[in-house]
Amino acid sequence: MKKPLLALVDVSKSHPRNAGMLSNWAARTTGRAALDRVSLTISPGEIVGLVGESGSGKTTTGRIIAKLTAPDAGTLWFDDQDVTHMPESEFRPLRQHIQMIFQDLDGALNPNMRVRSILAEMVALDPLGNKKESAETRIHSLARSVQFPLDKLDVTPRQLSGGEKRRVSIARALACKPKLVIADELTTALDLPIQAQIANLLLDLRDQLAVAFLFISHDLPLVEFVSDRIAVMYAGRVVESGPAFSIAHSPRHPYTRLLWNAHAGSVAKEELAATLVADIAQQGCAFAPRCPIFKAKGSPSRCTSTQSEPELKLVEVRHQVACHFPL
Amino acid sequence: MKGSPHLEIENLQAYFYASADRTFVRAVTGVDLCVMRGETLALIGESGSGKSVTALSALGLLKGDPGIVAGRICLHTDEGPRELLAGLDRCVTIERTPERPLSISKNGPAWDRQQKRNFVGVRGKEIAAIFQNPRTAFNPYLMVGEQIVENIRLHTPTKLYQEAYDQALYWLERVGLEPAAERFDNFPYGLSGGMCQRAMLAMTLAAEPALLIADEPTTGLDATLRTAILELLAELQRNLGFTLLMISHDLHVVRRLAQRVAVFYNGVIVERGPSLAMLSANDIPKHPYTQALLDAQPVRVSPKPRRLIALQGDVPSPIGEAAGCRFAPRCTHAKGINAKRCEHESPPFFQVSSDHQLACWLYTDSKEVSVRGVDA
Repeated sequence: MKKPLLALVDVSKSHPRNAGMLSNWAARTTGRAALDRVSLTISPGEIVGLVGESGSGKTTTGRIIAKLTAPDAGTLWFDDQDVTHMPESEFRPLRQHIQMIFQDLDGALNPNMRVRSILAEMVALDPLGNKKESAETRIHSLARSVQFPLDKLDVTPRQLSGGEKRRVSIARALACKPKLVIADELTTALDLPIQAQIANLLLDLRDQLAVAFLFISHDLPLVEFVSDRIAVMYAGRVVESGPAFSIAHSPRHPYTRLLWNAHAGSVAKEELAATLVADIAQQGCAFAPRCPIFKAKGSPSRCTSTQSEPELKLVEVRHQVACHFPL
Repeated sequence: MKGSPHLEIENLQAYFYASADRTFVRAVTGVDLCVMRGETLALIGESGSGKSVTALSALGLLKGDPGIVAGRICLHTDEGPRELLAGLDRCVTIERTPERPLSISKNGPAWDRQQKRNFVGVRGKEIAAIFQNPRTAFNPYLMVGEQIVENIRLHTPTKLYQEAYDQALYWLERVGLEPAAERFDNFPYGLSGGMCQRAMLAMTLAAEPALLIADEPTTGLDATLRTAILELLAELQRNLGFTLLMISHDLHVVRRLAQRVAVFYNGVIVERGPSLAMLSANDIPKHPYTQALLDAQPVRVSPKPRRLIALQGDVPSPIGEAAGCRFAPRCTHAKGINAKRCEHESPPFFQVSSDHQLACWLYTDSKEVSVRGVDA
């Protein structure tokens, strides 16, 4: 196996409970931490999908990897270095290797700048940039790599379609030749044909530039399609991770099964009703109140006890599950 | 009453003035649609294709200048048909001259007054709507329950507060917001996204509308919540029997809920028909655009990733006037001998089976049903 590019080891993070009226609904109602001992690895050139409900900690995980927030506990390894508490001055040269594409396009692209200047700004920042190659050539090759029409380089983001704005944001993330790109809800709000174009682009970029992606999304079929591996989060914990195909077609955690069945529309009525209540247990396995296995086994104390919270265990090659009674 | 038309839209045309380009942007140009009583009809298509404009027109909520310029919308109520665009033609003049291809002048204030008269007792009572973002639909300063009570007292014969309060509790329970008395006192920000969408559904249905328009009701929700809301919507429709006109991007959702589908592209409908046949991968004839939508769905058949069949290019600009088939520039069939016709002649609807119509020159062998309303 290749050496991982990035590793999160037992990373925890809790948000202050009264950080705002609307912030983190899940944390306010459950008192659980936003992230609880999350471990995740990403190999070079690998696309890892991260799925889970809103409030399960997907975006927080992305922000910790990009070092936009510091974890409360745990370590973050990047390129064989412990970067968890590395001061910004030391981390600076590494920062260009971790880029983030944000969900909110209109908030991420300056509406007063032309596409050319948005890209030029990033190209100028690239310390590894070939000095002989002019900025202009770099901008053109960037635009070409994301299939952005060159004749639209001189317009402002306002005049672009959603798909084109998406391409600009991807081009901007790629300008510094990163090793890892965190893509948060990349295709949300895009129409099907455009979404397919972006998904293909992602796979092309991975093949051509060997960039690794952390693909955070709600769209299960799309995650399944683009990812090599998928990690499923529930209430701030990774409950299952493994090869994309196995996660989607032979899940071992009841929550993963619920997610995919819900999408296919084949969930038992009782299980769905439990979903509505969306109870998250205060201790033990967070999923227990909604879990069909927990019910079927007559509420075993292992699932609710503080001492025996389920930890990620290997059940197959590269396939880990955090459940006392995996499927 | 089942099987009779509930909402008829004929040759609906709406434009917006783009001051930057000093020209008119086409929103919808000649939409013909008939929603039958008790059915679920889904409108699908890319953003900007005219789905929401059509729905908002039927609600009398279309804002913008000039907005609706021509067409007929007829709502069949228990008290008889209501012409919702009556008097529109008196407020609009459309001219075409060789120098300026399209000039529209509309007496906005007069039309607004007329529209208000047309919609008396319709919106909220006969036609109700739920939108993508329920938080903006609720007043953040009022308790959710109070807003349901207000809706009940406004639109139903129940006028007494206490009776309306009991009904509100019933509806909150009905959509699964329990304990209802506690949820009644919640403010919109105290509810999660899924709960808020349920509360919205409770408020809307409490007025017992005959027609419900759902504009992307589950777009921002998680897979589990989305399924739960859709199951609830389907169950309520089975029990209450209202007509549902829904707009969605998600073909899974449409397949599960809708009996019929209308596919929008660039301001016109290109295909209408039964949803199961149209949205499944069988050899039933399809419009090339519908086929492209189906192809773009991520389906992974083997562990090894492949590529999706992505439709190239973008939706054509809605500025100026269109000639020919709108889909021709992106269509793989509009090549060779077909090219000239596709580029210059707008295809009419061809009937491929009893309730399935396609606007595409590929199906010239089938019977032509109606000539689509030509631009303005």
